[in-house]
Amino acid sequence: MMENKLRKYEKIEFLGEGQFATVFKARDIDTGDIVAVKKIKIGSRQEAQDGINRTALREIKLLQELHHTNLIGLLDAFGHMSNVSLVFDFMDTDLEIIIKDNTIILSTANIKSYMLQTLQGLEYLHSNWILHRDLKPNNLLVNAAGILKIGDFGLAKLYGSPSRLMTHQVVTRWYRAPELLFGAKQYGVCIDMWAVGCILAELLLRVPLFPGESDLDQLTKIFGVLGNPTEETWPGMKSLVDYIEFKSFIPIPLKNIFTAAGDDLLNLLEDILVLNPLKRKNCMECLQMKFFSNKPAATLGSKLPLPRNIQKIRESERTSLKRKLVDAADGGILSKRLLF
Amino acid sequence: MAGNFWQSSHHQQWLLDKQDLIRERKHDLSILSEEEYQKIFIFFSSVIQTLGEQLKLRQQVIATATVYFKRFYARNSLKCIDPLLLAPTCIFLASKVEEFGVISNSRLISTCQTVIKNKFNYAYLQEFPYRTNHILECEFYLLENLDCCLIVYQPYRPLLQLVQDIGHEEQLLTLAWRVVNDSLRTDVSLLYPPYQIAIGCLQIACVILQKDQKAWFAELNVDIEKIQEIARYIINLFELWKTYDEKKEIQGLLSKMPKPKPAQQR
Repeated sequence: MMENKLRKYEKIEFLGEGQFATVFKARDIDTGDIVAVKKIKIGSRQEAQDGINRTALREIKLLQELHHTNLIGLLDAFGHMSNVSLVFDFMDTDLEIIIKDNTIILSTANIKSYMLQTLQGLEYLHSNWILHRDLKPNNLLVNAAGILKIGDFGLAKLYGSPSRLMTHQVVTRWYRAPELLFGAKQYGVCIDMWAVGCILAELLLRVPLFPGESDLDQLTKIFGVLGNPTEETWPGMKSLVDYIEFKSFIPIPLKNIFTAAGDDLLNLLEDILVLNPLKRKNCMECLQMKFFSNKPAATLGSKLPLPRNIQKIRESERTSLKRKLVDAADGGILSKRLLF
Repeated sequence: MAGNFWQSSHHQQWLLDKQDLIRERKHDLSILSEEEYQKIFIFFSSVIQTLGEQLKLRQQVIATATVYFKRFYARNSLKCIDPLLLAPTCIFLASKVEEFGVISNSRLISTCQTVIKNKFNYAYLQEFPYRTNHILECEFYLLENLDCCLIVYQPYRPLLQLVQDIGHEEQLLTLAWRVVNDSLRTDVSLLYPPYQIAIGCLQIACVILQKDQKAWFAELNVDIEKIQEIARYIINLFELWKTYDEKKEIQGLLSKMPKPKPAQQR
């Protein structure tokens, strides 16, 4: 049964390789849909003994329950023994590529659109008591229609159980919240919010705001901008297991860093990048801020700028569609279609 | 999972109809009587429960494993996979899904061996025949037949809330909790949402303890007919248990059970 599914997808091209998986672009032979197939790497022999990979299982179990425009959709799963592949919506690009592409201009309206979509997806996730725990530009996927979807749920986890401790070794360092860097084992939506703040800053700066080279350097970079937290601004901070005293920094006003940003945007950023996790705004609170109701309105998905190579695809698909219609008029493709 | 039950795969895809069950079981019920079929499932629920306790799993994990087991055979004949293999596979998958940590496969196999030898030797004369690779292969068939729906809602949490609402009653909670465990030996987890099962079990516990909670039950905004159906399933189970001696009958039932064809020699 499972083996048959291997033949259900036709590999088109290699897309990328991460620590845990290899991703291919593929075609669903039955429907013709373009999909992304994520083949989970088999680790050590020891890991192979553990059966279906736990990271993959986490993605399967959570995505099967979640349905939102701004979350990646899991379409299928197949494999054999320890060899698992997950099938997702195909996404053309991601925010990391868009941020690094100097030919793309990210206007306030464009940034607003990306933030709006991210926060709406995340709001849905949080209201289902799930933390993503690995938000970064690379995991915010964007398709040719300009729809942003949060992807990679390999670290996602249910939260809110007061008795359960969680690991603080989550989130890629540059987007990791200060409480995690201090070793907090109980945390909530605030850790995802911090990452969102860092991503917003990166959309403006086009480089990471806090590119720490080690966990200590990460905190240094954060305090270098926001100043040191104190027992008054962040009560209880000193009881975190990895807490250490840092040398004193003078905070830099955010408007000096983000010189082009308007006040409403700066207010949003200031309310997310708060050192004390309990004072950080959550998704709902952010979405209600002036930035989102003020002009300019968020750019429509179809009007969002895309990297050149995807624009080309967009156009070539248009022409090929035209050709198809011509062919169809000749009866070429149409007769084939009737076979189904 | 905390999430939203009403939008969950459990609610949308896995609350089955009595007629579905009858149709899917047609093949097995041409060989076994309905009562014999149920006795086989009672037996394997006990196997899963005992394995789980031996592995020191939480009841939540054991219950999820049991529901996986029942969901698999709600769609497949007993001859598709030997339930003696599927039972530990369900435990294996459920412990990962519930983030209980991976049970090492060798520990699972050795636990199966001791449990079958020491606790179920009245059913199996030979030792546990499966190895790691069997479980790993079976895990995928299980995942596929579950349609990748892994999160199962259990009646335990609603039960806690309901008992709290009645007023703190330790004795009532303990008994109702055990009735929920017993309910895993019936089809209710395939047919009714967990909150209804919790209410049904609570009602039975009240009757057994002769606690008059009529006023409290009357205030519930719930389809009382469904609750009665659930209670009926459980009472039938208790009735069956009165006259049933598993130790005497199970060997005969297991040999009568439809079985997979022996693997072809290559």
